[in-house]
Amino acid sequence: MSPRPGIADPLWYKDAIIYELPVRSFYDSNDDGIGDLPGLLQKLDYLQSLGVTCLWLLPIFPSPLKDDGYDIADYRSIHPSYGTLDDFTRFLEAAHERGLRVIIELVLNHSSDQHAWFQRARHAPAGSIERDFYVWSDTDQKYRDARIIFVDSEPSNWTWDPVAQAYYWHRFFHHQPDLNYDNPAVLQEILGILDFWLGLGVDGLRLDAVPYLVELDGTSCENLPGTHDILRAIRRHVDTHWPHRLLLAEANQLPDEVSAYFGAGDECHMAYHFPLMPRLFLGLHLEERDPIVEVMARTPAIPDTCQWALFLRNHDELTLEMVTEDERDYMYLAFSAQPGARLNVGIRRRLAPLLNNSRRRIELLTSILLSFPGTPILYYGDEIRMGDNIHLGDRNGVRTPMQWSGDRNAGFSRADPERLYSPPIVDPVYGYQAVNVEAAEREPGSLLHWTRNMTRLRRMFKVFGRGTLEFLAPDNRKVLAYLRRYEGDVVLCVANLARTAQPVQLDLAALDGLVPVEMFGYTEFPVIGRQPYFLTFGPYGFYWFELQRPG
Amino acid sequence: MASTGLSFSVPGEAAVPAACDVVVGIAAWNNAGTIGEVARAVAHALGRYGPGAGVVLADGGSADGTIERAREALAGMPAVMTVEFARPAIDPLRAPYHGLPGRPAAMASIFREAAGRQAKALALVDAALTSVTPDWIARLVDPVLEGGFDFVSACHARLAHEGAITRSIVYPLFRALYGLRLHQPAAGEFGCSLRFVRQVLDQDIWAGEAAQTGIDVWLESEAATGQFQVGEAQLGPRTRAPTPDAPDLSTTLTQVVGALFADLAARTEVWQRVRGSVPVPSFGEAPKIAEPSSVPDVMPMLEAFRLGYTALADLWGWILEPRILLQLKRLASAPPERFRVDDGLWVQIVYDFALAYGLRTLPRDHLLGALTPLYLGWLAGFLLELGEAEPADADARVERLCLAFETKKPYLIAGWRWPDRFRA
Repeated sequence: MSPRPGIADPLWYKDAIIYELPVRSFYDSNDDGIGDLPGLLQKLDYLQSLGVTCLWLLPIFPSPLKDDGYDIADYRSIHPSYGTLDDFTRFLEAAHERGLRVIIELVLNHSSDQHAWFQRARHAPAGSIERDFYVWSDTDQKYRDARIIFVDSEPSNWTWDPVAQAYYWHRFFHHQPDLNYDNPAVLQEILGILDFWLGLGVDGLRLDAVPYLVELDGTSCENLPGTHDILRAIRRHVDTHWPHRLLLAEANQLPDEVSAYFGAGDECHMAYHFPLMPRLFLGLHLEERDPIVEVMARTPAIPDTCQWALFLRNHDELTLEMVTEDERDYMYLAFSAQPGARLNVGIRRRLAPLLNNSRRRIELLTSILLSFPGTPILYYGDEIRMGDNIHLGDRNGVRTPMQWSGDRNAGFSRADPERLYSPPIVDPVYGYQAVNVEAAEREPGSLLHWTRNMTRLRRMFKVFGRGTLEFLAPDNRKVLAYLRRYEGDVVLCVANLARTAQPVQLDLAALDGLVPVEMFGYTEFPVIGRQPYFLTFGPYGFYWFELQRPG
Repeated sequence: MASTGLSFSVPGEAAVPAACDVVVGIAAWNNAGTIGEVARAVAHALGRYGPGAGVVLADGGSADGTIERAREALAGMPAVMTVEFARPAIDPLRAPYHGLPGRPAAMASIFREAAGRQAKALALVDAALTSVTPDWIARLVDPVLEGGFDFVSACHARLAHEGAITRSIVYPLFRALYGLRLHQPAAGEFGCSLRFVRQVLDQDIWAGEAAQTGIDVWLESEAATGQFQVGEAQLGPRTRAPTPDAPDLSTTLTQVVGALFADLAARTEVWQRVRGSVPVPSFGEAPKIAEPSSVPDVMPMLEAFRLGYTALADLWGWILEPRILLQLKRLASAPPERFRVDDGLWVQIVYDFALAYGLRTLPRDHLLGALTPLYLGWLAGFLLELGEAEPADADARVERLCLAFETKKPYLIAGWRWPDRFRA
């Protein structure tokens, strides 16, 4: 097992900056047109220099890849396109040597229909342990209150299996049968898989689709008590055998429902804050702070050892399931003028295209991401303003090859272009000829260098990952202002959500006598007094201030 | 000699008692010529602490009779323990360390022995020294035993022109970073408490590459930045037996300054919150030492600076701001009587090198090597300014330099946080 960085701090994930990447898309080392683990290893220096501290790898397991690897056919091996277990171990050691932690996926809810468990189940007699690894029914009328998630492609959550002569249950694609946690043997298998990867030295597991583990008639089959029982059992196992490893829950739910996945600090360490993300975009487009403040106000307190995972974009569509119908309609009008940009209940676009490639808007939202309470997750390529291709189907348009240079195949692979798993972005605005790491490295003012500075600054202050949040309420609603406090540190963040210059007066009387020191340039601003504190901003401008006692 | 890193007692020695009030550690490797005097001084000093005192000799596999010489010198001591530490393999591509090879392993061995015996106070000395006196031990140990101090740093008496790397960079920068006026943060000798020993043994610094040349600076900054009571002991001159393979100035500068820069890079969240500095309690009178009749010849230093400017100006352009380069250009053509490196200029040079170190603007060895001619320029200006001054005059001059480091610290913080703001 490789040594792991900073093992002394059990709350390491609170200070982390996570970088999400599909191995397939990052770098191809063997010229077969598909990114792989040796390729990723070659790019670790880049990731270290970016200032991220933790890598989240999308699924790397053997899979028919009908859902980008979330359809796992073997939980204890590596997809041959990505390398071998030895490659993975070498990658993990190299990452740890650089102080980078590694999180991988563990899809708890379902497997691929190609998994040996499912093939065995189909042929096993009804009622046997083998058969009961999955959820079967003679009718497709059970659990009728459960919604269909992939409404664009799945007519039902039940699919008929002619071999088993029964319907099997699936909350996602029909080729992803749900595992049956009413069968204790399933959990035992899952714990064994968990031991396998944590034993190799993996620092954490992202638990995909956790709200759907258990089914119960007459319910939505989401967030059921039985599901939490399963998660507590998993957490107990981790704490006993693998202390300080992370469980990150993917639960696309409202904050008060998601917070249940923290339990009393005895379920998952982290969970995504799904509703925040669309409201950040909404607030920016409305030039109005209320959507952001309101969603945070509705966010319940969580146990001290737990943490929200925050993100702007990821490998899925910008999901709009957790906004109101009006907000959803507004978001569609504002951010998906092209009909092809919409998918399921969301918008399949990357960060830069969503923000019309506005550098100021990107910087503003990133500054909020990095200063809000939680652990930020950056999506690969967003640091160089990579674009997308909505014509590639499903969510493939945001999973195109990483653009390393202006060379053939964006420097991603030396394979013949037609062998690439996906064409790189070639449009005039986001095409790899202009948008690539090599160009960004050579441009001192690039977003890449800016991002490095921001991650570096964020890493210096635990207040961002661990501090409390307190919103201010200035009259100008285009300005978002909040205080973060942790131990002796107080940080004031102020952001102008408008495309025009804005003034603001902040009531900082409670902080009378402190000196705001602008954090990027370490510039002292006038001391805070009893009167309202006056600031002005350029379009989409923002400040972070350390509030210091006068020297 | 293969090293196990395991503790063992040399046959014929009495074991250090299970519990000890005071332990003195001596780190050695092939120091047969000097260890006898060191050990005698230690034995003499420990006499006043009674039977609750012991010596831990950490040896790196000496083949010259070092252990035997030490045993002879410590013959009257009731408690002596010898431990063996692992010396790192010699890397022919790297300059040798200017101190004891494997010093971190030696320290860790001594610390473990001291912690195992619940020693209330530990002092550490180097077996290669020729100037250790019994009062060194008392001044390092007593503040810990009697005053509740956790770390007592050594401050050796020095001539005005001695210890210039410390005076020009290490002391002012350490003080500006961590806010404590510890005058010789890489001296090598120190006293410390059991609490400190336990704290540092828990860290994962010991086996790392950075520790090989930077363990002394790391220990001082650990003391300065933790919740520890820190003081300083005034000791006599620190002299070492000459060795044929002593590294040159550039190597020593690279190792010492590199260690401090590495520490700076690792503790950003600490030093960026520190403003100003405070003195630390001092123990003992600084011994008077006679000044030599002549000062060092500065002409070779000036020549090295000018040659450095000719050869390295382009490289310095990656590290230093244009206006700094212009000042250096003017200095390169200045006659000796007007050659002075202004404090503001020197501070900015050191800070820019620290920033470039953090950003990895150049390979770090190359970067630190490029500092040597600039340092020699500073030293020439310093010596020309001091003339035949007393050590106290040098100290007063260094104090002004330290204030410049503190005043300009926001530049370092800003540059660290937003390094490319001038280029963006």
